[in-house]
Amino acid sequence: MFNNRVIAVFKREVKERVISKGFILMTILLPVFMFGLIGIQVLLMNEGSTKFNVTVVSESADLTYKLESELSSTESVKDSSLILLFGTMNKEEFKDFLNSKKQEVLDEKITGVLYIPDSALKDKKLEYYSKTPQNRRLSEMLGRPINKVLIDTYFSNRSLSMEELNFARQGLDFTGFKVTKEEGYEEEGYGSLVLTYLFTFLLYISLIMMGQMILQSVIEEKSSRIVEVILSSVSAKELMIGKILGSGATGLLQMSIWLIPVIMVTSTTWIMLPPEITISITLLQVVYFLLNFFLGLVIFLGLFATVGAIFDNPQDAQSGLWPIMLLIIIPFFIAFSMIENPNSAIAKISSFIPFANIIVMPARMTIAEVPLFQLALSLAISILTLLAIFPLAGKIYRVGILRTGKKPKWSEVVKWIKYKY
Amino acid sequence: MQALEVKNLTKRFGSLVAVNQASFEVPEGSIFGLIGRNGAGKTTTIRMMMGIYLPDEGEVNLRGVKVGQDFKNRVGYLPEERGLYKKMKVLDTLYYFAEIKGKSGREIHKKANEYLKRFELYDRRLSKVEDLSKGNQQKLQFIATVLHDPDFVILDEPFAGLDPVNTNLLKDIILEMKERGKVIIFSTHLMEFAEKLCDHLAMIDRGKIILKGKLSEIKAKYAQKNVSLNYEGDISFLKGHPMIEKVENFGNTTGIRVKEPEQAQNLLKMLVDRGIIIKKFDANDISLQEIFIEFAGTDGLELKEVRNV
Repeated sequence: MFNNRVIAVFKREVKERVISKGFILMTILLPVFMFGLIGIQVLLMNEGSTKFNVTVVSESADLTYKLESELSSTESVKDSSLILLFGTMNKEEFKDFLNSKKQEVLDEKITGVLYIPDSALKDKKLEYYSKTPQNRRLSEMLGRPINKVLIDTYFSNRSLSMEELNFARQGLDFTGFKVTKEEGYEEEGYGSLVLTYLFTFLLYISLIMMGQMILQSVIEEKSSRIVEVILSSVSAKELMIGKILGSGATGLLQMSIWLIPVIMVTSTTWIMLPPEITISITLLQVVYFLLNFFLGLVIFLGLFATVGAIFDNPQDAQSGLWPIMLLIIIPFFIAFSMIENPNSAIAKISSFIPFANIIVMPARMTIAEVPLFQLALSLAISILTLLAIFPLAGKIYRVGILRTGKKPKWSEVVKWIKYKY
Repeated sequence: MQALEVKNLTKRFGSLVAVNQASFEVPEGSIFGLIGRNGAGKTTTIRMMMGIYLPDEGEVNLRGVKVGQDFKNRVGYLPEERGLYKKMKVLDTLYYFAEIKGKSGREIHKKANEYLKRFELYDRRLSKVEDLSKGNQQKLQFIATVLHDPDFVILDEPFAGLDPVNTNLLKDIILEMKERGKVIIFSTHLMEFAEKLCDHLAMIDRGKIILKGKLSEIKAKYAQKNVSLNYEGDISFLKGHPMIEKVENFGNTTGIRVKEPEQAQNLLKMLVDRGIIIKKFDANDISLQEIFIEFAGTDGLELKEVRNV
């Protein structure tokens, strides 16, 4: 199977891919892009809507005074990303006031008006009037200090020690501990979650990108008619194997480059992560990830190459891709939904379903404890999938690459499998 | 001695029988022409010979042994629809095509450069294929076909789409390969090229071999009752004449078939007697085109029966 012809095809494929501008750009730009995306998100949250202009109205002067002193010392007020105006009004007055400010709120001169009635001291119910009342950023900024004022005021008439007061002021702090077979319990931060996103996203991007590349390459060979010259030296099977392994090796190289930071974190102490985002992944898991990726890539490259062979122009091929895209996109969403609920039955089952296992299992591995034998089983399923689809894919490829002209129907493609070619 | 033997090749595509029990022999050292109109089954036959298609029935033998990868390595194949990797450099393209034939290393590199110099492409050896003119791409394709020094050269409609310069270049390559004892097989629907170049041929029509053998023998056999005539005047009196079997106009010349070989002289006498000005009278001569029409009929070839001459 690996004769000098396959090697020649393989070498050409790797050379063409690795030297291409697209590969180099993508290898460098994707990490930049991903970090950039996170950066932009942080930027948007902090800077993007810098000026909040909120009028805080409470029912009693005492409360207004306390709120003013507490809120003025918050960071967002200090760096003037939050500008507050204070006032004291009863309900009737507030209604009139709100009506008078309506236009300013609509014009966004005022972000919102917050009303804290005296009753809030009993039920902690506030009223917030704004064009965009569901602003989480604002409630994050205002919620804690206001809560503190309410608690302080509530308890100020009672004889409570500072300690008791502090306890009451305290919010909840969930610390996650991952239960594993290992001794002890490891405190787990957001690291695993980040890793799940990362793995799922990288798999998705790479499968689709490498797939599109081989699709274009097969179509080019077919439409430029070079394929017939090549087939006079190399069999269709050898050509397909060489191309897929060449693309697969290129993809593996790219993925390994992308994973260098992860590998460094797990196997060296060069990079120290802050405790909130420590990742608990072993080198073995990284190796599994790469192995799983390579098998999955080979499977999907086979499918993409086959679709490329069926059609003779990129437009038709794109429209013929949907079955393969579904095989990537559905597991992609399952993997993402698992972040909400790692133990969902669908996630568990689909990590053993052919095609889906390629994307779902790595995601599951990072957020839940997956026994080694299950990882091995998933790899075995990939290998079986490979063995099952390649004879069919090879046949369609062989018939397809020499066909030009009319766009074939799916029913015709099925007939090709029976052809003696 | 036969170099290649094609035995009962059959290929069906669904209900269409593209090639039907085709058998012919290609002798050592010959230039062999596979001749037929478009869609007759030439390309399918060649693809089966190359192992690109598996035949439904039949086999191809190379000096008595069924062809396999060994044969592929020793063939230089130029398909009708030619193509190159557009983004690849000229030299890389040549090395790649030699490599998939199992040839690589310094010797091939040296030869590639020699060929490029000879075909005036040496300056462009580091250019991308897409930057070459169409004519130069064709030259590059020829070099890629013969660089690995094949024993067999198979050319499918080699002259289609070539400019006159490259047509001559390709002819030179073919004749040079023949001199070096290589076997050349080509398919064409252009009878005049076949007539000039090949020494053996097989005619294929609607998937069936209708005629095969040595060109000179075939011509001798079918030329006996034929006269090719260039003239001025009115020869319509020949139509229906008891001595004449048929008259056909081939554009420049008129082909006349007499019923018995010895009547050719009588025909000449009759034409002279009738005052026809004879510019060329070639007895026992027949063009390949005439033979082809004799066997395959005229439909599809842009020729009409001469009715009223």
